[in-house]
Amino acid sequence: MSEAATLTKTVELRILRYLPASDESPSFRSFQVPYSDDMSVLQALQTIKDTLDATLSFRWSCRMAVCGSCGMMINGEPRLACNTFLRNLPPGPVTVEALKNFPIERDLVVSVGDFVKKIESIYPYIIPKEPKTVAQGTYLQTPAQLAAYESFSDCINCMLCYAACPQFGENPDFIGPGAMALLQRYNGDSRDGGQQKRLDAIAGEDGVWSCTAVGICSEVCPKHVDPANAINQNKTNSAFDFFLHYLRKDAAQ
Amino acid sequence: MSERRPYTRPIDEDWWKKPPYLSYTARELSGIAVTIYGGVLFTGLFSLWRGPESYNAFLRFLQSPLSLLLNLLLLAVVVYHVVTWFQTLPKTMPKMIVDGKQVPAAKITQIATLAAGGSSLLLILLTMWVAR
Amino acid sequence: MSEAVPVKRSISPIFWLLFGAGGMLSALFGPALILITDVLGPTGTGLPADFESYDHALAFARNPLGKLVLLAVISLFFWHGAERIYLTLKDMKAGPLPVLKLATYGVAAAVTLVTFLLLLAIGF
Repeated sequence: MSEAATLTKTVELRILRYLPASDESPSFRSFQVPYSDDMSVLQALQTIKDTLDATLSFRWSCRMAVCGSCGMMINGEPRLACNTFLRNLPPGPVTVEALKNFPIERDLVVSVGDFVKKIESIYPYIIPKEPKTVAQGTYLQTPAQLAAYESFSDCINCMLCYAACPQFGENPDFIGPGAMALLQRYNGDSRDGGQQKRLDAIAGEDGVWSCTAVGICSEVCPKHVDPANAINQNKTNSAFDFFLHYLRKDAAQ
Repeated sequence: MSERRPYTRPIDEDWWKKPPYLSYTARELSGIAVTIYGGVLFTGLFSLWRGPESYNAFLRFLQSPLSLLLNLLLLAVVVYHVVTWFQTLPKTMPKMIVDGKQVPAAKITQIATLAAGGSSLLLILLTMWVAR
Repeated sequence: MSEAVPVKRSISPIFWLLFGAGGMLSALFGPALILITDVLGPTGTGLPADFESYDHALAFARNPLGKLVLLAVISLFFWHGAERIYLTLKDMKAGPLPVLKLATYGVAAAVTLVTFLLLLAIGF
């Protein structure tokens, strides 16, 4: 096929639009975009913004599944727009909506404030077991100790797991898969001593106990972080802690 | 002046009966079969307490073709419970690291399912051997 | 805001551990138990014809170890189902949560208590 013939082919994008200044509620609008075989959904959105409608809003940055900005619902599934290619989608119109379970700020842009607060609530930094001075040297770790938490450090905060989680949909206060993966990234680190603080933060009904092990969060994760594993192994930890906390001397109350 | 007016979409009340969540709902409902078997044992214990007449009626029901059919159905659902239980198992345990590498979830599921099949078989053989 | 307000502990761990114990017990021995007590035993297949007779069942229920097995299997299987059925009914929005709890955890608690009393009444 010649280049000209390829470019005459078009694809329809049905986009859920919402402009808070003028729209009462979101509604779908369709755009015809010139199609090429190597085009991602993100490129299609950029084409629309550049050539058809400059008011279309969406977040993006790296174009290579690293920054986690372009999460959205594509044909009803939470996906990164940058690594979802039009050629891999079934023929017919492509439906694009803002990430499910989050309030829409504008078009495909959602509110992330609550998610950031949840991440802050689980002490997302190493709390050293024994603080060392620079003179005392670095903290050492074996490859096996690194392997214990490394996959959980791959999270890019794209929030696809939250869009896939029906329990987060039912209860927006649920700490959710992504923040729990980050929690396990630190709790599983051999240099860290903050496990008890973090366990205390998730022992409530809105902590691990809102999870019912549906497991779709892990299936939609573009970085194979396996947040379902992070939550469910901490259910075990939290359950034992429920009984052990009565025995601890320093326990509150 | 801010134009912020975040729009919260209504939640889909029927998510549990739609894919990909339907398989989760089916897995959870297999708990009914486990409870029904507990109920059969409870009924047996209750009739045992009431006396021989009551217990023999319970035993005659167990021997009926209807009961055998229902129990094979129950067995099938409980086997589904066994399979899905061990599919979920790797999610509930810490990462297993052997020789510096993570053991794949599918491997854990496979070994645990085989072990469960073995323990069930062992219990049947042990019962036959003790009762012979 | 680094010092968070202490969260109120959930009592879900109690039910979750009972659910897990029942789930593991039924996953390891459930198929065998159904085959032995409901299929092979009553029909005398591979087992003596009087395997599940009144006298044998009574002897089993009077044995301390037999009592423990019956209490564990009956109650944990009910607690396992209670957790799963409660959460699914909640997903389905089948009714007010206190009613759903009573119909699931409540039943499991009642069955556990009655099983315990029956095992005592049957004697040693």
